[in-house]
Amino acid sequence: MEMTSRERFMAALKGEEADRLPVISVCQHATYEQMEKLGSYWPDALYDGKLMAKLAGGAYSILGFDAVRVPFCQTHEAEAFGAGLKDGGKQGLPSVKTHPYKIGDTVDFPEDFLERGRIPKLLEAIRILKDTLGDKVIIMGGIIGPFSIAGQILEVTTMLMEAYKRPENLIHYVEMGEKAGTMLAKAMIEAGADVIAVEDMMASLDMISPDIYRKLAQPYSKKQVEALDAPVIIHICGKLDRIVVDIANTGCAAISVEPVVNVPGAFEKFKAEGITTPLIGAVDPVNSLFQGDVAKVREETAQCIAKGFAMISPGCAVPPATKTENLTAIVDTVKEEN
Amino acid sequence: MSSEQEILNRLRDGVVEYENDMVINAANEALETGLDAEKAIFDGLVAGIEEIGRLYELEEIFVPEMLLAADAMYAGLNILKPHMEKKADGGVRGHVIMGVVQGDVHDIGKNIVKMMFDVAGFEVHDLGRDVPLEDFIEEQLNTNSDLVCLSAMMTTTMVGMPDIIRKLKEKNPKVKIMIGGAPVNENLAEQWGADGYAKDANNALKDAINMVASLRNL
Repeated sequence: MEMTSRERFMAALKGEEADRLPVISVCQHATYEQMEKLGSYWPDALYDGKLMAKLAGGAYSILGFDAVRVPFCQTHEAEAFGAGLKDGGKQGLPSVKTHPYKIGDTVDFPEDFLERGRIPKLLEAIRILKDTLGDKVIIMGGIIGPFSIAGQILEVTTMLMEAYKRPENLIHYVEMGEKAGTMLAKAMIEAGADVIAVEDMMASLDMISPDIYRKLAQPYSKKQVEALDAPVIIHICGKLDRIVVDIANTGCAAISVEPVVNVPGAFEKFKAEGITTPLIGAVDPVNSLFQGDVAKVREETAQCIAKGFAMISPGCAVPPATKTENLTAIVDTVKEEN
Repeated sequence: MSSEQEILNRLRDGVVEYENDMVINAANEALETGLDAEKAIFDGLVAGIEEIGRLYELEEIFVPEMLLAADAMYAGLNILKPHMEKKADGGVRGHVIMGVVQGDVHDIGKNIVKMMFDVAGFEVHDLGRDVPLEDFIEEQLNTNSDLVCLSAMMTTTMVGMPDIIRKLKEKNPKVKIMIGGAPVNENLAEQWGADGYAKDANNALKDAINMVASLRNL
């Protein structure tokens, strides 16, 4: 019997039988083609709750995915901490331009954190999505991981060097990152988010060592997962083979990975440790989705299914110039392969 | 007084062990003892960076350690380089323009590549991060650089690259263009008309030397 997206998604997270694998995008999924179809464009959709919800809804109405997620960018927490942003115009996303703190500064956590910057708009978008699509699909609220927020409010090069030399000097900033993310996630859950997706792009082995991950990222992610009353998906970009067990040990509901990750290797390690955390992934966002064609996406999707992913998702943020047909090809393949 | 080999070893080890003071002392001693600055750079600092590159490839060290090694390397290079450039041809291997494309503020990778070029004797014109398209073109015209290196770290910003490549080639068909960064790859480089793709800093330098050599042979 055909399940709704909600049922399918929740079954996959719990490791229960579903009619087919869910298809979601753990990271941003807006594209220029969806903007045209929906009449909701960047940059307006980054600053207005209604337009944000309208564009995010495309993941369901146009792509046929089993979850919709907001936001599109990764800057809400940093902005609320006082980081200066650079606008990305019509084609790009805002990014952090100036960092509000230096190592040694004490962060005065803003009492009105949830009222700052564009956070109220983001929460409004979640409320709208919950009202309009909440009975059909999973509503995913995206936050940034504790270590990555620290990497946004501090200058990243000096932060990385300090992480090796004197990691204890960074604890305060990671704690503030955890506090901010958890606060935002709780507000998202209250606004109607079913699931929290944590992007922790800096906690990757492309950026730090397993040792630094264990000292400065994992314990704070674990604290965050434990504080939230909703399933938490952790997404880390790039290499993570040597920390995949540590990520699972945060207690997260699932881990979202990129194509570089050794999936059979991860399952082997999980088995040895008695871990059942599902993996989500990992259609190559650049080679297949952006640069490839329908045939290539189908081929890679089939490989992902064979590898044992519990849900199929682009491996990282969808490039906005990706064609719709390449994204719907993921869903078509999952339906056929079933 | 230390032997030449001992000074070179300290330059190398200082980089590998991220000990800026060791590198600074060894670099000063190299100058005092009349050790050739170029030799000190290549057989000391570069040897250290090569070891760092090897350890990085083996995943024994990661980006933070690479940044610390770069810091130590620059501490030595700043002392030694002025003495190298007193040579007749200035010791410059080629001119390179480097920058992270517009909208993208991730410059760690670019800075590591820059370090490789600096230490290998290139004159680097670093445009920084979030660089507008026109700036690459203007800088190329102003400096007549042999090579332009474009970096992007996001799937949302790499899309600006084809435009820059096309316009650079329009203005100067001979200029070589190399792209790098997490979301790009060899196929994209070819598709967008770039002359090369560098998967990491070591490869970037090797390719650059080949490209500049091919230009010289024209």
